[in-house]
Amino acid sequence: MKATGCLLALTTLAALASIGCGPARRGVPFGPPLHLTERQKQGQVLFMRECNGCHPGGAGGLGPGIANKPLPGFAMRTQIREGVGAMPAFTEQMLGDAEVDAIVDYLNALQETPGPL
Amino acid sequence: MRSDLLRRSALVTCALLLGGCFHLTAGDKTRKEFKPPRRIDPAAIAVPEGYRIDPIATGLTYPTGVTFDDQGTPYVIEAGYSYGEDFAEPRLLRINPDGGHTVVATGGHPPWTGVTFHQGAFYVAEGGTEGGGRIVRITPDGTLTPIVSGLPSLGDHHTNGPAAGPDGALYFSVGTATNAGVVGPDSANAESINWMARASEFHDIPCRDVILRGLNFTSADPRTPDPDDTVTTGAFVPFGTATTPDQVIRSRVPCSGAVFRLAPGATAPELVAWGFRNPYGLAFSPEGQLYVTENGHDERGSRPIFGAGDYLWAVEPGRWYGFPDFVGGRPVNQEWFKPSGAEHPPQFLLAKHPAPPPQPVAFFGVHSSSNGVDFSRGGAFGHRGQAFVAQFGDQAPDTGKVMSPVGYKVVRVDVTNGVIQDFAANKDKGNGGPGSHLGTGGLERPIAVRFDADNGALYVVDFGVMTVLGEDIKPYRETGVLWRITPTGKKEGP
Repeated sequence: MKATGCLLALTTLAALASIGCGPARRGVPFGPPLHLTERQKQGQVLFMRECNGCHPGGAGGLGPGIANKPLPGFAMRTQIREGVGAMPAFTEQMLGDAEVDAIVDYLNALQETPGPL
Repeated sequence: MRSDLLRRSALVTCALLLGGCFHLTAGDKTRKEFKPPRRIDPAAIAVPEGYRIDPIATGLTYPTGVTFDDQGTPYVIEAGYSYGEDFAEPRLLRINPDGGHTVVATGGHPPWTGVTFHQGAFYVAEGGTEGGGRIVRITPDGTLTPIVSGLPSLGDHHTNGPAAGPDGALYFSVGTATNAGVVGPDSANAESINWMARASEFHDIPCRDVILRGLNFTSADPRTPDPDDTVTTGAFVPFGTATTPDQVIRSRVPCSGAVFRLAPGATAPELVAWGFRNPYGLAFSPEGQLYVTENGHDERGSRPIFGAGDYLWAVEPGRWYGFPDFVGGRPVNQEWFKPSGAEHPPQFLLAKHPAPPPQPVAFFGVHSSSNGVDFSRGGAFGHRGQAFVAQFGDQAPDTGKVMSPVGYKVVRVDVTNGVIQDFAANKDKGNGGPGSHLGTGGLERPIAVRFDADNGALYVVDFGVMTVLGEDIKPYRETGVLWRITPTGKKEGP
């Protein structure tokens, strides 16, 4: 029952996201500067090292944009750990749990920041 | 069982969530087609609050560099060559106050890739896809004198730079002949890169002796009329030459994929560091540290590599930076770098590596073509000690497919932590791209940046329009622009 509920929630999220595509670019010069907590700053540095190549600045590139989707934290953690499609899985040897959490925290900050009007 | 179901559901959700916007840009043909004239509209470019951007000179043909004389007058070089195999005349131009220009010098050995004014003269890196690379000195009266000749840059990548160091020496670089160490049919394409027709025996040259594993690659043979003909080629050898296990490839300096130093008065370059793929931009920080940008591997040719980004490196003398077996400090033989449709990731070409490579200072977007770099020295512009990098933009699908346009902007890098932020990029509600793609008069392909003498303005060299249709690269003459970014007062950041 609990699993069915989660599945329903995930499906609803996916449906909402598919109609909610917006601009993926964030920060100056496209909007207000990011105001990050210390953990989000740590996540930003990790993001730049591990994620920026495929999602430059959170926008699309080799991979899809990830700054414009309301992806819940648990889904982001799952994707980072398991990989999806061409995206590789990041093992605990590559990124510790605390580091993954920091990246997720940073991505949440990106998603909550307005993009270009 | 239940947790597995949830995990799978989460992954499916991720794919749906992340995939929903692909169609907005991936299939847009406007990045492949262009009808002149180029529009120019600084209002189409976003810069941080407190800055403005203006076009200073337009109608340039394949401009690649800018520098300033002792009076602060800007000078631009035009390359004389573009991918797409279009040859023009390399030129050094003085940019006049009215936006027009005066020809100071013309030359050969295209493409000219960079220029710096140093101790009363211009020093130009002649890329040398024709005739080999050179570093030449041009006096203000236009007299051109070669300083270094015969640099091995007849291939995919060229002689780059130069940058004047705090020691008074000139530093320059030479890119590799190939995408990933093996000459392939991707270097014999009349519509994009066709150097094999000019230098059929050319190949990468190691800076130190290397021992091969003897891997060979079978490819089509574009030298014969039969499309079914195949040929076998190994690493660091001419096209059509096989290699054997434990074969030693002797080094030679100057070599491929390396940074060199040219002491004042010298004509023989000294090796500084090697193992780069295409070290394109060179610049010294205010503290005197040399940095280079590197164009990472493409998914093309006989040894395609998927997912390789571009990088900013702090250059340590004597170090090996990984080519052909490491990408951004990471071994290439892992799943990350496996090309689409391949059974295995790329394998090592070398039986033994000189040393573990260092880690990059910053990781740019895959296929962003992060090229020219300069450091702010503070002053009115701000951001002292941060690197500004011109991103030429992807050449997809020729270099590998992307889901959205990558690059086509100027970014700012905090070299203390690797954080990259856009500084000048085209306005739109999607993922960006060149102005011609967006239907605006914004940036096309930024290729170089340079602060003026008092650090009061950042000049951006915009190569102009270059479209890519399949493997057909088409550059457009007289679409290049020199932009200038200046502070207007209130600024964000330090």
